[in-house]
Amino acid sequence: MAADPAKLPARATAPARRAARTRALRPWLLLAPALLVLAVLLFWPLVRVVTLSFQDYGLRELNTGATDYTGLDNYREILGDSFLWRQVLPNTVLFAGTCVVLTLVVGTLVALLLQRLGRTWRLICSSVIMTAWAMPAVTGTYVWIWIFDPLDGVVSGGLDGAGLIEPRETNWFTDRWSFYAIATLNVVHHGFPFVAITVYAALLTIPRELPEAALMDGAGAWQRFWRITVPTIRPVFLIVVILSTIWDFKVFAQVYLMPGGSGSNPDVLNLGVWSYVESFRRNDYGMGSAVAVLLTLLLLAVTVVYVKVLSRERDEL
Amino acid sequence: MRNSPTARRRSPLARTRRLVAGAAVLSLGALTACGDGGGDDVTTLEVWIMEGTNPDAGPYAEELEAAFTERTGARLDVQFIQWADAHDRFTTAIAGGELPDVAEIGTTWAPEFGAAGALTDLAGNIEADGLGDDLVPGLYEAATVDGAVYGMPWYAGVRALMYRADVFAEHGLEPPTTWDELRDVALRLADLEPDMIPFPVIGGSEYGVDPFIWGAGGEIAERTGDGEWRSVINSPEAVAGIEFYTSLATEDGLSVSAAETWLETDQLESFQNGDAAMIISGNWTVNTLLADDPGWADRIGVVPIPGPDGGYSPSFVGGSLLGEFTSDEPELAWELIRMMTTGEHAAAWAEQSGYFPGQQSLLEEVQAANDPLVAPFAEQMLEAGTGLPVTELYGQIQGEQVVQGMLQSILAGDQSVREAADEAAAAMDETFGG
Repeated sequence: MAADPAKLPARATAPARRAARTRALRPWLLLAPALLVLAVLLFWPLVRVVTLSFQDYGLRELNTGATDYTGLDNYREILGDSFLWRQVLPNTVLFAGTCVVLTLVVGTLVALLLQRLGRTWRLICSSVIMTAWAMPAVTGTYVWIWIFDPLDGVVSGGLDGAGLIEPRETNWFTDRWSFYAIATLNVVHHGFPFVAITVYAALLTIPRELPEAALMDGAGAWQRFWRITVPTIRPVFLIVVILSTIWDFKVFAQVYLMPGGSGSNPDVLNLGVWSYVESFRRNDYGMGSAVAVLLTLLLLAVTVVYVKVLSRERDEL
Repeated sequence: MRNSPTARRRSPLARTRRLVAGAAVLSLGALTACGDGGGDDVTTLEVWIMEGTNPDAGPYAEELEAAFTERTGARLDVQFIQWADAHDRFTTAIAGGELPDVAEIGTTWAPEFGAAGALTDLAGNIEADGLGDDLVPGLYEAATVDGAVYGMPWYAGVRALMYRADVFAEHGLEPPTTWDELRDVALRLADLEPDMIPFPVIGGSEYGVDPFIWGAGGEIAERTGDGEWRSVINSPEAVAGIEFYTSLATEDGLSVSAAETWLETDQLESFQNGDAAMIISGNWTVNTLLADDPGWADRIGVVPIPGPDGGYSPSFVGGSLLGEFTSDEPELAWELIRMMTTGEHAAAWAEQSGYFPGQQSLLEEVQAANDPLVAPFAEQMLEAGTGLPVTELYGQIQGEQVVQGMLQSILAGDQSVREAADEAAAAMDETFGG
C-alpha cells in the first residue's frame, strides 16, 4: 500500500508538537495549586458578589438558597439616591484623596530625613515609625478616639487648659469635617511609614554623582529634589500612590469604629461602611453587594489610569 | 538504540503525570482535611448560649448537661457565643447550613430569623404543655409573629431610672416621680454638684428616648388595618416626648456634648466613674457595678422611670428566648427548651445572672423578695413594660440606627425635633413599605 504523502509530515511532527504543548502546559501545572487557591478564595467570592448584586437577597434567600433576580434594580436605587452623591461618594473620594496626598508628603519628608540622619538616629527613627505601621488598625483607631475624647481626651484637656474650648460643650465626632479630620490623622499616621521606607529604599538607588554635580552647578535643595530625585524615582512614587489609593478608598475599621461611624450618623458613611450596613445590619445582601461592586469598579478605574501612566513611564525610561 | 527515542519522548510525559498526581494528592489532602470525624452513636444536641449574661455560666451548663443526659439519655454540646458576634454567627450559620439545634436569641431576632424560615414555630408545644398563661407577656409578644411563636421566653431585662443614692441623700433630694421633678432635680444637681453630669442624654442608643416617647402617649410605629406597619414617631405625642428628653440637654444643659455619641456602655462608665448622677439603665448593670465594687450597693438607688404627671413611663422589656433552629430532633429540642425555661433551671439561671425569669410565677417570687436593687426593676417590668414593633422590618430599622441618627442630629443642633422626627419617620416608612 502506498503511503499517503500528505500524512507523512503530520506524523513526523506529532511528537514535537506534543512536546511543545507539554512545555507550554508545564508552568500552568506548576501554578495550578496557587491558581486553585486564588479561584476558591478570590475569584469565586467575587463572582458571588456580582451575582448577588443583581438580586433581592435577604435572610430568607440565604436560608432557603432561593434566588430572586431583579436585574439592575439595586444599582438603579443606589445611583438614584442623592445620599450617594451628596454624602457617601464625596466622603469616600475626598477622604481617600486627602489621605493619599498627606501620606505621600509626610512619607517622602520622613524618607528624606532618614537619608540625612546618621546610623544610630536612622535606626531609632525607622524603628519608631515601624511601630506606627505595625499597630493594628483597630487598636490605632481606639487610641485616636481616646486622644480626641471630648470629655477626658488629651486634646480636649490641653485646649481646655489653654482656655480655648469648653469640654462639656464639645464633640468632634458629630461634625462631618472634624470626624474625617480625626480619621485622616489616623489613616495617615498608619500609612506613612510604608511610604517612608519604600521611598527611602528608592533614594538609596540614586547615584551620588547626580546631586553632587547639580550642587556644583549651583542648584538649590528645592531644585535638586524636583529635577533629580523625583524624576529618578518616579516609578516608585507611582507604585506607592497606587497602593495608598487602593488602601485609602476601602478604609473600613477606622471609620466604623469611631463614635457615630457605624451608621448612627449617616453624614459620615463611606462606601465601605455603607456596604456593610446594608448587608449585615439590614440583611439586604443584594444592595450591600451592589455598593461593594461600585467600590470595586471605582478602584479598578483609578488603578487602570495609574497603570497606564506607569507603563508609559517605563517606555520612556 | 531503539530505546532512546522512546525514552526521550516519554520523559516529559512521565514528568507531567507526576505533576498531575502530585497536584491530585495535594488537593485530596485539602479535601479530606475538611471532612468531619463523626460517627457517634449517642444523639447530641448542639446548643448556643450567649456569653456575658451570666458572669460564670460554666457550672450552670455542666449541671444542665448532666440533668439532660439523665432525663433523656441524649448528650448536649453547649457552646458559648459572644453577644457582639452572635448575629453574624447566626447569619453565617444560616448561609452554611450549620445552625445549632437550640440557641439563645435576642428577642428582636425572633421575627427576623422566623421570617427567614430558620426557626421552628413552638406555639403547638407551648399550648400542649399549657405553658402560655404563665409567660411574661412582653417577651411572649416579642416572640409571636402572626400566631407563630419563634422562641420560648427564657429571661428578661428592663431599664429603669438609676441614681446616685448617696449624692441624693447628701443634699436631701428625692428621686423624681414626674417629668417636671426629673428636670428640677437635675437642675438642682447641676447647681449643687457642678462637676457631675446630672442626666446624660445619649445619642448612641434608642432605649433612653423610647420611654419618653411612650410616656407622652406616642408610639414608634403602628400597624395599619391591612397588617402593614407605619411609623408614627413624628406624631404630636411622640414629638412631645422626644422634645422633653432632648431639651434636657439642648435647653437645660443637663448633659454633655460628648454624650451625643455615647452608647449605653459609655453612659454606664460615666456613672461608674462618678460623673453621671442619674441614668436610664438596665437591671443587669447593677451586677456589673457590684462586681466592680460591692460598695456600690449603698450608692445606687432605683426607681421606675416617671410618667409625665405621675405614674410610670413604659420601658422596653428585652431579653432572650430559646429558639429551635429546625432541629433533626424536635422532641429532644423541646424537652431541653422546657427544662431551661421553667422550674429549677430557669430560677437558677435568673438568680446567677441577675436577670428576671421568663415565667410570671417566678418573676412574682423575685418581686416579693423586695430587694431594693431588684424590686423597682420588677415593678417597672410588670407595671410598665412594653415592646418594640414585632416585625423583622423593625430589626432592619434598628440595624440602620434610624432613631440614633434622629437623636444625634437634634442633639448636635443640626435639625429641630420636628424635622428630625419627620425624617426618621420617612426613613422607617421606606423600610416598612418596601
